[in-house]
Amino acid sequence: MKKRSGTDGSLLASLPWTLAALSLSLAPHIQYLPPWISGAFFACAAGRWQIERKRWRLPPAWFRGVLALAGFIGVFASYDSVSGVGPGSALLAVMAALKLLETRQRRDQFVLLFISIFLIMSSLLREQYIWSLPFLLAAITLTMTAWLRMSVTTGVTIRDSFRTGGRLLLYAAPLTLAMWIFFPRIATPFWAVPIDTSGASSGLSDRMSPGDISSLSLSDAVAFRVNFESSAPPPSRRYWRGLVLHRFNGRTWSGNDPAIDSRAKENIEAIGDPVRYQVTMEPTQQQWVFALDIPYELSLENTHMGPQQQLVRSQPVDRRIAYEAVSYLRYNTDFDLSRTARTWYLRFPDDSNPRTVEKARQMRRAAASDASFIENVLQMFHEEEYFYTLEPPALGNNPVDRFLFDTRQGFCEHYASAFALMMRAAGLPSRIVLGYQGGEMNPIGEYMIVRQSDAHAWTEVWLQGRGWLRIDPTAAVAPERIDSGMSGARFGEAGASWGLTAPARWLYSLGLTWDALNEKWNGWILGYGPEAQGRFMQWLGMEEPNWRKMVLTLLTLVLALICAISFLLVRRYRPPKKDEAARIYRQFVRKTGVLPDLGETPHAYAARVVRANAAPEGAAHNITASYLDARYGPPDARALAALQSAVRGFKASIAGRYENRLPSLRGS
Amino acid sequence: MLYFPPLTTVITARAERWAQKRQGVDRPSTRLRSGRIYILPTGVGAIFALMTFAMLLGSMNYNNNLSFLLTFVLAGLGFVSMHQCQRNLVDLEVSFAGVDPVFAGQSAEFRIAVTNHSRNRRHNIQLFSGTTRSSVRDLGPGESRVFHLGIPTERRGYTQLDRYGIRTLFPFELFHAWAWLHMELRCLVYPKPADRSPPPPPSQTAHGHRQHDARGEEDFAGFRQFHDGDSPRHVAWKAYARSGELLSKQFAGADTSSQWFDFDRVSAADTETRLSILTRWIVDAERTQRDFGLRTPGREIPPSHGDAHRHRCLEALAMFKHTNRARAAA
Repeated sequence: MKKRSGTDGSLLASLPWTLAALSLSLAPHIQYLPPWISGAFFACAAGRWQIERKRWRLPPAWFRGVLALAGFIGVFASYDSVSGVGPGSALLAVMAALKLLETRQRRDQFVLLFISIFLIMSSLLREQYIWSLPFLLAAITLTMTAWLRMSVTTGVTIRDSFRTGGRLLLYAAPLTLAMWIFFPRIATPFWAVPIDTSGASSGLSDRMSPGDISSLSLSDAVAFRVNFESSAPPPSRRYWRGLVLHRFNGRTWSGNDPAIDSRAKENIEAIGDPVRYQVTMEPTQQQWVFALDIPYELSLENTHMGPQQQLVRSQPVDRRIAYEAVSYLRYNTDFDLSRTARTWYLRFPDDSNPRTVEKARQMRRAAASDASFIENVLQMFHEEEYFYTLEPPALGNNPVDRFLFDTRQGFCEHYASAFALMMRAAGLPSRIVLGYQGGEMNPIGEYMIVRQSDAHAWTEVWLQGRGWLRIDPTAAVAPERIDSGMSGARFGEAGASWGLTAPARWLYSLGLTWDALNEKWNGWILGYGPEAQGRFMQWLGMEEPNWRKMVLTLLTLVLALICAISFLLVRRYRPPKKDEAARIYRQFVRKTGVLPDLGETPHAYAARVVRANAAPEGAAHNITASYLDARYGPPDARALAALQSAVRGFKASIAGRYENRLPSLRGS
Repeated sequence: MLYFPPLTTVITARAERWAQKRQGVDRPSTRLRSGRIYILPTGVGAIFALMTFAMLLGSMNYNNNLSFLLTFVLAGLGFVSMHQCQRNLVDLEVSFAGVDPVFAGQSAEFRIAVTNHSRNRRHNIQLFSGTTRSSVRDLGPGESRVFHLGIPTERRGYTQLDRYGIRTLFPFELFHAWAWLHMELRCLVYPKPADRSPPPPPSQTAHGHRQHDARGEEDFAGFRQFHDGDSPRHVAWKAYARSGELLSKQFAGADTSSQWFDFDRVSAADTETRLSILTRWIVDAERTQRDFGLRTPGREIPPSHGDAHRHRCLEALAMFKHTNRARAAA
């Protein structure tokens, strides 16, 4: 039987850097990967390094086979699908771990470094923050340096390798930039693959059950940013329409209708001036698109208006999208509501929340009209003891009854739900609208930030002759929530300290600056799409930019830059000129400021320079010796390099400069 | 059956012939001009290009500007590494630095000196000839380094190194740059010493008597001043280290015996075996410091000793057939 020999230690110079590159490329994935995958990778990396150091043997083939099988089954078990960045990066990590265990030769590391590049790529597909750029540069520098280390000869230090890698990357930088700017961007993707099926969706859910969750988690994450063409609407008008729920089962509101309805827009009667703005929305993995109430026009492809004027996209928002929108803040909708529709908006289970139903019917009987009934209900919320809190107690069965008569504490969902049910009980069609309310202006950058914590629920009530009216019962309980435009997080108890103390304020404005940076980043770097590119081309002076012109420019630029690089390299490897030594020596003479006399030998000159205090004795002698060596010795580039570094390191002392300015003093 | 050589072999052979015709014969010391440096992508380079293209498609599909950036960094590095790879060889000076004769079957170690006249480092330089590869070394600024190309030999005579190359894969092994050199180098190959040989003919003293004891050679007789031609094995190095004076050790009987190795008297069937046996005798005789002479048809080398003598004899054996043929022609 053939005995397998241990590793020969030939990878000692390169393996640690390959491992470092892989680890860095894997780092942004770790928070998304199942822990066992990262664990397996780092275990394999540490194990492989130990094997190389101790000259142990690699694990046998059958063992690696079993591991491979286990790894792939594990990935398939952890993810339902195999497409997308999540499972893709998991597979890459597993492959890297397995490949490590069979890396015997120098060249096997190529595979690992290719995996490293793919890991960087997939992390960029997943997230594109500002720090993704430095990450990209660091990871690619490390990967390419590890690549250099693979074929390095003995005696080349890691510093040399980094310098070489950095130099090559620097040469490549102008080419990269030119290609990035001029490569024509196209609008439509070739095929739609979900970027990440494993990522949790953020934003609003398409159902609402007040009382199920006893506290609302409010994240400061940005939902979307808005640039208004003219001034922003006042805080009380900042209602961002999302989904509309009309089905109620006594506990949960649901029933958003994603069907496209071309008549939905016809049912809007716009009043007054339109508001024009641009929204940049963060990915939510959901179909809903948000616009100021009420949306009128939208420039996003595959997006349409549903029957209740909600905006629906045919595919989930899986990346940051930007769209232009036009809204009217004053409007009328649905003067005529069909009988069927009306029954829809009146329906609720008879056996649930009896106390609320009874109370509503009583109040309606007492009121003169529908409008005054609405008025009375809002009055009740305002005047009786109802509290706005983000951490209300949990509600059991008949949650609306429990909330309205017992706990009397809640946030927007509770009030909207109770209000809508009361309307229905009294015979008024009603529905719930989910979206965002508010948004703060960032003074740095002049745009509005709407956060997840601005999520809001309000109601719409249909009145004969007036159509749907937006009524926000939360405003009756906590008008500050609406009027100030302050979002919940900064309004509730938890956020009470915001804006009160100086460090907090400082932190707050720092946050705004950071967000403004992000906005620029999104607009300039991530949002450099077909339109932005077209605008930039025009700014550069290209008339009617199209992809042909851009490709032509690109090719010309790339060719020119390659010529420039070639020229740089020619210079780099050109043998030094014959009198290079004399040229460098003249620099020294210039630095000392002491003029050499005619026919003065270098030694005599050096002695005079030292006497004149223009240079320390050691430096002057060192430079003179190197100069004589380089100029009169056998041809040797090393001597020249020594002279060069000596002169470069030399700094003239003050006396020399002084003497240079007053040449008449010399010799006296 | 027809035999088709692999396409790559055919193409390589064509390219080599074309290059030779184009460049002509090089002087023993040649500066590599950029026009004679060829460059092609390697397998890794092809995979790298494919990967970059796939990444470009992916970036376009997702309209992801950061992955566009990564893709273009890689593409830019590809272009840069092409030029870097070629420039890594340009203006190197390649010179022949000698080769020592070998016995058939050993590999002829051609020494080739490569000098870097520039002020920057040349990375991962390698010499090659056919499938033979030298070690991979770096050349610092101004550095000159001798590379060894071991060419296997089979037959005595001259082995030719018509063509060899210098190459580099630096920086990322994406490209393979090389230059061919045609210096018409050759190395003398002695016949292979026979493994088994009949005992050499007996030594003779100057008087024609058989010397009674060959071990007399090992009897140390004293020192004398070193003369050119003395074997370095006889130099008293210890004494040299002490006094700085070069002395040769004298052995009793070393000059008194001599042997004649005669081609016609070797009992073997064919010429090559005879040469082989003669070679063995010469090698052994020189190792034991005996004088010997060589007699081949048409040539006689009188008894002597020393490296120069050994070389003369072995060269005569190496080139034997030629002289033989010349005689036959005459």
